[in-house]
Amino acid sequence: MSPTLLRTTVIAAALMALFAVGCAKKGVTPPAAPPAAPTSPTTPGTPGTTDPGTTTPGTGGTTSTAKASDLRIVYFDLDSYAIVGAAQADLDANARILRENTALRVTIEGHCDERGTVEYNLALGQKRADSVRDYLLAAGVPAGQLATLSKGKEFPAAEGSDETAWAKNRRAEFK
Amino acid sequence: MTLRPLHRFSLFAILALALVVPALADDVRLDIRSGASSRLPLKLTAFTPAGDRDAGATSVQADEVLAADLRNSGAFTVARAWEAGGAAAAASAQAEVGGKWTQRGSTIRLTGEVRELPGRQVILTKEYSGPAARWRDVVHRFADDIVLQFTGELGVSATRIAFIVQDGRTKELWVMDADGHDPRPLTADRSVAQSPAWSPDGSLLIFTSYRGGGGPQLWVLSPEARKPFLLSGRPGLNTGGAYSPDGTGVLCTLGIDGNAELYRLDARGGSPQRLTTHRGIDTSPCWSPTGREIAFTSDRSGVPQVHVMDADGGNLRRLTYDVSYTDSPAWSPRGDRLAFVVRTDGGFDIWTCRSDGTNTTRIVAGGSNENPRWSPDGRHVVFSSDRDGKRSLWVSDLDGASPRKLDTGGRKAMSPAWSPRSGATSSR
Repeated sequence: MSPTLLRTTVIAAALMALFAVGCAKKGVTPPAAPPAAPTSPTTPGTPGTTDPGTTTPGTGGTTSTAKASDLRIVYFDLDSYAIVGAAQADLDANARILRENTALRVTIEGHCDERGTVEYNLALGQKRADSVRDYLLAAGVPAGQLATLSKGKEFPAAEGSDETAWAKNRRAEFK
Repeated sequence: MTLRPLHRFSLFAILALALVVPALADDVRLDIRSGASSRLPLKLTAFTPAGDRDAGATSVQADEVLAADLRNSGAFTVARAWEAGGAAAAASAQAEVGGKWTQRGSTIRLTGEVRELPGRQVILTKEYSGPAARWRDVVHRFADDIVLQFTGELGVSATRIAFIVQDGRTKELWVMDADGHDPRPLTADRSVAQSPAWSPDGSLLIFTSYRGGGGPQLWVLSPEARKPFLLSGRPGLNTGGAYSPDGTGVLCTLGIDGNAELYRLDARGGSPQRLTTHRGIDTSPCWSPTGREIAFTSDRSGVPQVHVMDADGGNLRRLTYDVSYTDSPAWSPRGDRLAFVVRTDGGFDIWTCRSDGTNTTRIVAGGSNENPRWSPDGRHVVFSSDRDGKRSLWVSDLDGASPRKLDTGGRKAMSPAWSPRSGATSSR
């Protein structure tokens, strides 16, 4: 028994060390609330009111008219599932819409560019969908509104084998 | 206390040696891996047709199928005595192959014969029979026995290759004979199927598919019955199924614990046993032929790299350190080497290495080359490539000298999986 335990402990320690390195290298969003996540956007879009200039003009406070297609597509860097740069602002906007439209349930679809193997991209697509879900949860969106799905590299938004096409294909969509 | 792991290691080392020694013994007979110079020159004489009037027509085709099988085995150069100049080309032949081809009604009978040269003493004679509709299988079985005669190991002509055909945004599962003959669809879902793998007896194919309507799930079908059944449709990822060598378990990637981890399922898809614990991506698992080790892809050290661990998830280590961004591992049925892909600027090359990660060797470059999978004798690797423009299937010997394209009728073909020798095409 104890050698097995010892071995498990050693492996666990090694894994944790690797894990730390992996995190540092990839710049992965930490599992807790991302530091950049807006906990309460204070601007006009507080729950129950209409956010002027966005999706529900003139509905006078009703909250169920937003559609999944109103949510912004989020883009990723190569081989990455970190939410950085413009993706943060896009997800902040999406979070606001989701919080204001509690009946809106969406599936977050993670996609990849054509580089990388089929198998790896299936996992990477799931990671991207999960990253988006985690960010939205941290931004106050109820878990019941969010499901995730990986589409791997099977459904490119743009055909082509250049950086322009690849950049459009490394994405998370809302369906 | 601390000795126990050492004991385990010694035991493993002895077992590993026991596995390596027969493989080396095979190499001594005829080292097919070292390239064209080691190919044995054979003279093929046309089969003598007998029986029904149709026999002459199939006999001529059978001659060509046998010639292609023997050439593709990698063990021989082939001179066709029936061609103009064939006799001259056969001057250096060290053995002569021929036989009698009898067709009566719906049955084909082949009496195959191999003679050594120049003495013409018979060194192999054997009878084969089968339904006339599957006459090619009769030829393949003779070809495989000729390979056995000269190399000590049965050939792989009488096997099949499963693969994926892409048409627009749909991907269906297909199968064909190992020489590319008779490609035929096994699914017609208008969905996306991926990553087929055979059960060890060749009776079942496991594959990843979106046919269930949600995310990727693991499905299984018999190439004969063609009705898929769901093996794992758990929430999140269900991808990359691989049957254990004894058929009792299936390795796969599942997302049930919130991240892409490797699991072992029982053959019916139940009792998931988690094998990895890391918040990175763990995917593309495959077994060593003994079932004692698992190779897989993990990005735990930054970019994807092939790793190896014991079947219980312990003793995890990275496979290679002199190449980076490696994926798609496949363990040779001989146990001595692994094939994998290495990312390049424009795609992937195919490499092999010893199972301890040393002796890394690039065998296929040019274009993007993916999903290497071994033939059941460990002498060839089938893979997909866009090296001539459109993605299709190719076969390479281990020296990588001249990959051979498989004719899939111009279809966009990928993700090949070579069947084991046993199974429906074999009736020895």
